[in-house]
Amino acid sequence: MNNSKPEAVQGQLVSAASSEIMIDLNKVNKWYGAFHVIKDVDLVVHKGERIVVCGPSGSGKSTLIRCINHLEKHQEGTIVVDGITLDKNLKNIDHIRTEVGMVFQSFNLFPHLTILENLTLGPIWVRKMPKAEAEINAMKYLERVKIPEQADKYPGQLSGGQQQRVAIARSLCMNPKIMLFDEPTSALDPEMIKEVLDVMVELAETGMTMIVVTHEMGFAKTIADRVIFMDEGEIVEENEPNAFFNNPQHERTRLFLSQIL
Amino acid sequence: MAYVKTKDTPSRTPPLNESSVLGWLKINLFDTLYSSVLTVLVLIAVFFAVKALWVWGISDGVWIANSRRECFKISIDGACWAGIFAWFDSIFYGRYPRTDLWRIDLGGILLIVWMAPLWLPRVQGKILIGLSTVALYPFLAGYLFTGGDKGIFMQIMLSAAIVCFFATTANAIIGFLGGGNLIAFILRKTGKNKAPEKQQRNMLLTILAIGFIAVFLWQRGWSLEGVTWTRWGGLFLTFVIAGIGIASALPGGILLALGRRSKLPVVRVLCTSFIELFRSVPLITVLFMATTMFPLFMPEGFVLNKLVQVIIAVCLFNACYMAETVRAGLQAIPRGQYEGAHTIGLGYWGTIGLIIMPQALKHMIPNIVGSFIGLLKDTTLVSIIGLFDVLNILRTISRDSPWLGLHQETLVFGAMLFFIICFAMSKYSRHLEVKLSTTHKN
Repeated sequence: MNNSKPEAVQGQLVSAASSEIMIDLNKVNKWYGAFHVIKDVDLVVHKGERIVVCGPSGSGKSTLIRCINHLEKHQEGTIVVDGITLDKNLKNIDHIRTEVGMVFQSFNLFPHLTILENLTLGPIWVRKMPKAEAEINAMKYLERVKIPEQADKYPGQLSGGQQQRVAIARSLCMNPKIMLFDEPTSALDPEMIKEVLDVMVELAETGMTMIVVTHEMGFAKTIADRVIFMDEGEIVEENEPNAFFNNPQHERTRLFLSQIL
Repeated sequence: MAYVKTKDTPSRTPPLNESSVLGWLKINLFDTLYSSVLTVLVLIAVFFAVKALWVWGISDGVWIANSRRECFKISIDGACWAGIFAWFDSIFYGRYPRTDLWRIDLGGILLIVWMAPLWLPRVQGKILIGLSTVALYPFLAGYLFTGGDKGIFMQIMLSAAIVCFFATTANAIIGFLGGGNLIAFILRKTGKNKAPEKQQRNMLLTILAIGFIAVFLWQRGWSLEGVTWTRWGGLFLTFVIAGIGIASALPGGILLALGRRSKLPVVRVLCTSFIELFRSVPLITVLFMATTMFPLFMPEGFVLNKLVQVIIAVCLFNACYMAETVRAGLQAIPRGQYEGAHTIGLGYWGTIGLIIMPQALKHMIPNIVGSFIGLLKDTTLVSIIGLFDVLNILRTISRDSPWLGLHQETLVFGAMLFFIICFAMSKYSRHLEVKLSTTHKN
C-alpha cells in the first residue's frame, strides 16, 4: 500500500498558521432526534492552519465540519466563520458558503453539466463573473489539478480520482478562504488516492486554511498542524501530529491508532 | 499453485450474434422447435388480419362518391372513405368560416416558424425564443383566430408579438448562417460594436421602439372579422385545448411540485390539497364542474365562455398530474446534489433552477411526454359537454343525411390521426432522451 501515500510524506510542510482566527466553535451541540451527535465541541482554527480530524465512524467528525458551512444545523453553541456568526439569517449562511469550499466523499459533481460548466457555474451565477473570465479562471484551476484536457467531458466519463480533483477545482473556483474535506479519498480505489492527496498537499502548500476528515494517516503527518481525534461526539485528543502519533495520551486514541496503523 | 501468464490471448469475433439478420432470426424467432411453431402461427395470424384490413380499406374501399348509398352500390363490403373526404375541412377546422381558413393555417405556420429556431444549430438565445413563444404567441394566434375589434391592450400585445416574431426570426436566420445573434449583428452593421455600452443600449432600444410604433400604427389600419368560438372545432380545437394545456401543465406542475416539497407549512398544505383534490376526480367531472359550478362562484356579470372554462379545467387538472411526475423526478435526485450546489453558494432558486430541475426533468422525459400524450387524447372528452372537437365532428358525420350510419370509417380515420400525432410525440421524446443523456456518452 506504499504507493497510496503521497510522496511528500518524508518531509513535513512548514506551518502557515497566523494568529488571525478563521473559525471559532464554542460549546457546539447537535442532536439527531434524541441522539446526541456533537457534544460541547470547542475548536478554534487560525488562518492558514491545517487540521486533520479522525476518529471511528459515527464519531460525529463529518457532522461537525458540515455544521461549519451549515449543511447541518447545530442546536446549541455558537459558530463564527471569518467574523460572521452562523444563525438563522439566510444571507449570512449564503455568504459563508461562498467563503467556505467543501469536498465530499461522493464528489457531488453535477452530472448534467460538463466539467468546465461545473467549474464556472458558481463564479457566473453567484459571483456574477463574466462567462469568458470564469472560463479562463476555471481552466487555470483545472491545470492546477492536472486535468485541463477533460474540460469538455461529463463527470460520468471520468474516473473517481479525476472527479474528486474536479470537485476540488470547483470549490477553488469560488476563491474560498477555507476548504473543508469530508473523507475525500474514502470512495476511491487505492491507485487513485495518491493523485487526490497530491493535489491536496499542493493546496496546503499555498497556505489555505483546511479542515480534513480523513483516515490517511501518512497524509495527516505531512500536512497537519494539528490532529484532532473524535469519539462519540466529543473531541478526545488534540495535538500536533508528531506527538499525536508517537505519544497518544488518551486510552481511546491509543486503541484507535493501534487498529489503523 | 502459482500461475504466470506466458502469452497474450488474442481477441476473437463473437459467435453467431444478434447484429446479423440471420443471427437475429435464429436467436429470436427460430431458436427451438416450439418457438419456430409459435413464430409461424403468429405470422399466419398477422397475415390474415392485415389482408382483411387491406381488402376492407384499400382494395374494396370507395374513395369517390356523393353519398353512402353510392358507396354501397360500388362495393357493399368495402370502406366508404368518400364520407371522410366530403367532411375533410370540418374534421380539421370545425365550423370555422370557410373563407377564413387561411387564418388557422397562418396561425399554425407562424407557430412553426417562431419555434423552429429552437431546433436549429448555431442559433443563440434559445431560452428567450422559447419564453417569447409562450408569452406572446397566444396573443397573436388569439387575435388571428377570434378577430373582431381590438381593445387597446390587445393592440399593444399584438404589436409586441409581431415585433418579437420578426426579431426572433431574423435572429435565427443570422445565427443559422453563423453570424452570431441579432444584437451583435446590428452593432456590427452600424459600426457601433466598439461604442460604450450605454450608447449601444440606447440605439437598440430606439430601433425596438421605432419597430414597435411602426407595427402599432400599421395594425390599426386593418382588423379581422370576428369569429365566435362556437364555430371552432375539429382538429384545430383539439390542438388549441391540448396546446394550451401542454404549455401550462409543465410550469404549473413544476410550481405545484416545489410547493408540495416546500418547508413552509401553508404552501405545502395548500399545494398538496390542490393536487390531491384534482387527482382524485375524473377529468370529465372536472369539466362538468368547470362549466356548471364555476360560474356560481364568480361575481355577478362575470361571464366566461365555455371554451375558456374548459381550457382552465384542462390546465389545472393536468398541472396536478404533472406535479406528481415532477415530484417523482425530484425524489430521484440525491441529497448530495443539493449540498454540492449549496457549497458553491447557490441559493434555493439557483439550486432548483440550475442543478435540480434540469436533472429531474431529464429523468422524467418519458413520463412527461406520456402525460402530454394522455392530455391530447383526453381532450376528446370535451365532446361530451358539447364542444366540437375532432371526435365529435367525426361522430357528426354519421348523422349527416348523405352519410347516415358511417361509423367505422370515421373512427378508424380518427384513430389514425391520433396515432400519427401521438406516435410522433413518443418518438420525439425518445430522441430527446438520447440527446440529453450524459451518463453513457463516451
